Amino acid sequence: MIDLIIDIIAFFCIYAIITLSLNFQQGYTGIFNLGLYFPIIVGAIITAYLPGRLAMIIYGIDSKLDFSANNAVVVSILRSKLSSDPIMSIMLLVLTMAIVALTCYVLGFLSAYPALKLPADYLALFMLCASESLRVIGMQTDWLAGGVMGITIVNPFWWLGGFSYYGMPVFTILATLFIILLYQRMCDSPLGRLLKSIRENELTAESVGKDVNKIKRTTLAFSFTMLGLAGVLHAFMMGAVVVGGYTRVDFSFWPWLMMIIGGTGNNIGVFLGTFGLVLMRRIMIVGKHYFWFLPFNVVWFEPILLAIMLMVTLIFRPEGILPEKSPRIKDYMRKVLKLES
Amino acid sequence: MIPLPILLTALVYSFILSLLAMGFTLQYITLSVPNLAYATIAFASTYLTLTFSLMGLTPYVTMPFAFILGGAISFMLYKFVSFLRDRGTSIVGLMMATIVFDLIIYAGMNIYADYLATVFKIYAGSFSLSEFDFKIFSFPAVLFVSGITSISLVVFFTLMLVKTKFGVAMRAVMENYNLASVHGINTERILSTAWFFVGGLAGLSGSLYPIWFAMDPWVGARMFISIFAACVVGGLRSIYGSLLGGFIIAFSEVVVTYLFSIYFPWVWAYRSVTSMVIAAIALVEMPSGIAGLIQKFRGGR
Repeated sequence: MIDLIIDIIAFFCIYAIITLSLNFQQGYTGIFNLGLYFPIIVGAIITAYLPGRLAMIIYGIDSKLDFSANNAVVVSILRSKLSSDPIMSIMLLVLTMAIVALTCYVLGFLSAYPALKLPADYLALFMLCASESLRVIGMQTDWLAGGVMGITIVNPFWWLGGFSYYGMPVFTILATLFIILLYQRMCDSPLGRLLKSIRENELTAESVGKDVNKIKRTTLAFSFTMLGLAGVLHAFMMGAVVVGGYTRVDFSFWPWLMMIIGGTGNNIGVFLGTFGLVLMRRIMIVGKHYFWFLPFNVVWFEPILLAIMLMVTLIFRPEGILPEKSPRIKDYMRKVLKLES
Repeated sequence: MIPLPILLTALVYSFILSLLAMGFTLQYITLSVPNLAYATIAFASTYLTLTFSLMGLTPYVTMPFAFILGGAISFMLYKFVSFLRDRGTSIVGLMMATIVFDLIIYAGMNIYADYLATVFKIYAGSFSLSEFDFKIFSFPAVLFVSGITSISLVVFFTLMLVKTKFGVAMRAVMENYNLASVHGINTERILSTAWFFVGGLAGLSGSLYPIWFAMDPWVGARMFISIFAACVVGGLRSIYGSLLGGFIIAFSEVVVTYLFSIYFPWVWAYRSVTSMVIAAIALVEMPSGIAGLIQKFRGGR
């Protein structure tokens, strides 16, 4: 039971990062991106490639062994080494996160150049197709992340011994708290209002001297960074990377549903939507064994359920459970202009 | 020298892709909503082809049924999208509505594949029906069937758009929905018929796909990249441009990748990514696609 609770909380944390990043792009800035899983895959691939090989070099493991081709052997050697070296383990984790953050920031910035030339709907399609292409590359390249079969990676908390299983979920929770606070601070700051003004009317924002394209590029790059970090946390928590598993349904459509159900443009609503759906999905995955009598895998009900929920939300509650609050002029005058009405 | 099987693959693929790209563009122009379920609707009919083949029938018997299936799903999708549009749903909401259909069809295909595997012990998660095809002049029949279907449908479609009242009304709706409505055109009927017809085209092209290529429930997601690339290369809002874009993308994916793979064999595995690279270059270098280039050339003269 404790394992299930930890599992739910950890997955909630990862999806919270994804949906908050989506809300930052779509809810606040109005960037319509369906390819959320592009930076997540980048994060996962770097996590699959980098820490294991780096550890091999540091510990001087036989150069004839390849991390990908001799994965099981190398991981078992690394486990014995890293189990007694907490500093190195944490350094590997931090370094991987730093490199992923940097890579995703640059990729976000670069991808914005062709993407922002497009109308909103084609931007969404472009990002979706780019993500799917990256998924194909990841699946076809064995040396990168084990190809179709995937690859086992190192656990940066092996040194915790019997508690090593709990290390990564706890770290994920702490990292998520930090990211949530960061997003909340940014959204509540003048930056948040600037982003909303761009979402509402780009032309007006431009007319008061704001460089809309630059702001959009930076927003996209920042969200890419956070999504990349979500990819790292997910990969480390799973203990393995199978690039084929990073599908558009799981890492793009589900977060979209979480945001729409929660309430676009409202971080608390998005948070609620994420929690509710993650809970439902994890219970469904755990409970699928009770449906052994069906002539098909019960996991296929998941997309149908997602579709029905999306349909119901679009028809009856398009603004979500907790709709975005429009700022009241009274509050604005008191808080921003420091005036009393 | 390009081997014959590669050339034939490129031809069959380009016939199928061009039809799909043309249908996608047409649906986009009519409602200004990209239909994300389009590829999945197209490939849902492949399971019809599989079922008919398992019953001992030639896969080509499926074609009219695939047309009806694709058309019916597309019609339902149109009704749902237009219902939401009338309630003032944003473009984001409308695209999400198409995802609803994409997910249901995707799950349905997987459930059916699982059912075939459990009940009839047939592995339907990945299959090809090339063994059920027959030869015409020592060439596979699918080459002729896909070619004739593709060309005749394009001719029929062009004539319909230019020569019939329905076609003229459809062009009017595509140009300006509100103005067409004011002029007394039944826009709802025109658009729902257009979506049925285009969905039918998708179903038809999808039903031919497994006769030459390997099929699995993820083909729709992968092929969506190629369809999008074809539309971008052809011109985002040009029907005939997307048709041409389909041929360019298909030949690039198959023939160009093959030529590269002679020197760099690893390239072949990434052929589906080629189209995305071409689309990205096209977006930067010629955002209006081939249609824009042709228009520019005509204007220059």
